[in-house]
Amino acid sequence: MTDKPNILLVDDEQDIRDNLASFLNRSGFRTSIAADGEGALRQMEAISPDLVVLDVLMPRIDGREVLRQLRRSDNWTPVILLTQVGEAYERAMALEEGADDYLNKPFDPQELVARIRAVLRRARPDSPPLSASWELRCADLSMDRRARRVYLGESEQSLTPKAFTLLEYLMTHPDELLDRERLLDVVWGWEYPAGTRAVDTRIAELRRVLSDDPANPVYIETVPSGGYRFIGRVETGK
Amino acid sequence: MKRYWPLIFLPALIGVGFRIAAALGWYDDYILSIRADTSTLAMLGGIIITAVLAVLLVVFKWRDKQHQDQLARHETNRAAERRQFLQRLDHELKNPLTAIQAALVNVSGAENTDTIESIRTQAKRIGRLVADLRKLAELETRPIERAPVDLEGVLRESVAIVQKMPDSERRSLHLSLPQAPWPLPRVLGDEDLLMLAVHNLLDNAIKFTPLGATVEVRAFEDNDIVTVEVADTGSGMAVDEIPHVWQELYRGSGARAVPGSGLGLPLVRAIVERHGGQVGIRSRVDQGTVFSMRLPAIDVPEL
Repeated sequence: MTDKPNILLVDDEQDIRDNLASFLNRSGFRTSIAADGEGALRQMEAISPDLVVLDVLMPRIDGREVLRQLRRSDNWTPVILLTQVGEAYERAMALEEGADDYLNKPFDPQELVARIRAVLRRARPDSPPLSASWELRCADLSMDRRARRVYLGESEQSLTPKAFTLLEYLMTHPDELLDRERLLDVVWGWEYPAGTRAVDTRIAELRRVLSDDPANPVYIETVPSGGYRFIGRVETGK
Repeated sequence: MKRYWPLIFLPALIGVGFRIAAALGWYDDYILSIRADTSTLAMLGGIIITAVLAVLLVVFKWRDKQHQDQLARHETNRAAERRQFLQRLDHELKNPLTAIQAALVNVSGAENTDTIESIRTQAKRIGRLVADLRKLAELETRPIERAPVDLEGVLRESVAIVQKMPDSERRSLHLSLPQAPWPLPRVLGDEDLLMLAVHNLLDNAIKFTPLGATVEVRAFEDNDIVTVEVADTGSGMAVDEIPHVWQELYRGSGARAVPGSGLGLPLVRAIVERHGGQVGIRSRVDQGTVFSMRLPAIDVPEL
């Protein structure tokens, strides 16, 4: 059973740590724990895990600082941030600082397992994740994340801020089945009574702007009774 | 300004000083006689009185504005404090809730399934409260989208969602929208948020009406304002309860047995106010309640 992925779980709350760790162990991972940022950095050296689940708000060195230090030393171990505040800018930060994914607290532990599996599947060893790149390309489509602009070929396309955020998340998580609840959490950071509608209207906007035919998509595929998936091959632009 | 007010006595003091000096013989008093026609005197008197009144008016206006500014500052501070409180509360609730959810996946399959199920239900309830708290805190700060929104579609969709709720088929639910002479004009705003507001009102109406009651959703336009009303033949509310329904976590006497976070209506108000609109309520005990939201319309046909 040595092929079980090694997960390092970092959270300052013992009850979260212990309960999540035993759940992750039962879900097919081997989990180590750290109680704060310093412990996390020490553990990184000692066990070099396959993935780190990192709480943002911790005393002394917080999760963001741990992430910055890792990335600065060119350590591209996949990181899932456990964020506290649901604000849009906070979510954008989670991606910009080189986290592979994030989850807002409180979350369903099953969702964490799904995120871990998706990130592990996508991770390319020792290279930055798509989410750490300012420019993304896929076929004709290119995205300048810093300027929040989208181009088809040479011509700039206009998107609502929410549609942009949605496309950004889809492009940084290609080939991943994302259900509507997850996408709703990305765009809004909260659940919503007519959630499917809110996501579907934004997807429709994206398809219209990108001239993507839902029956024969180049970019966004509808997965029946599942959600959406970005099917294009995404590359980082320089 | 306050430190200089004794200066107003200076002219009087100088005058009295002259008179005392003359009385004591320190000063060679002489008589000054002025001849003037009454019309000139009347003119001078009139101008002086007007000038004095004008100065007083300016001073009062200025003081009033200072007062208003102070009130506004106070209000802003209070709003900021409230927002901080909401954010801190939200934050402090999240960690324990995450721990409870993580613990719950570890006990499933144990013997006390009923107990676990009830913990799960209660954890979900706290979860909803936390989520609503966050919405409320975020609504006041985050920028909202300003795109033309077709309220008709929002209303139809909301009614369709509510109709899928359990027991809703046992209440009669009507939607009435204007068709003639023109359909409902659009409003400028965030469709997702407006939908949330309408949904909360409808959800509320369904929850607080007995089976067999009527719930009516109607919308109309008047003077560039679109009004959406959600009316029910439910139990209604006492006059003294009405102003409180928009307060956070307020639960009316009739609401204690009904599940809810106590934040549904405050959210409606926050959303409508962010759209430059107003909320309203009319209610009579045992007859029912009408909730209304008034939003500025765009593209109203020109007269």
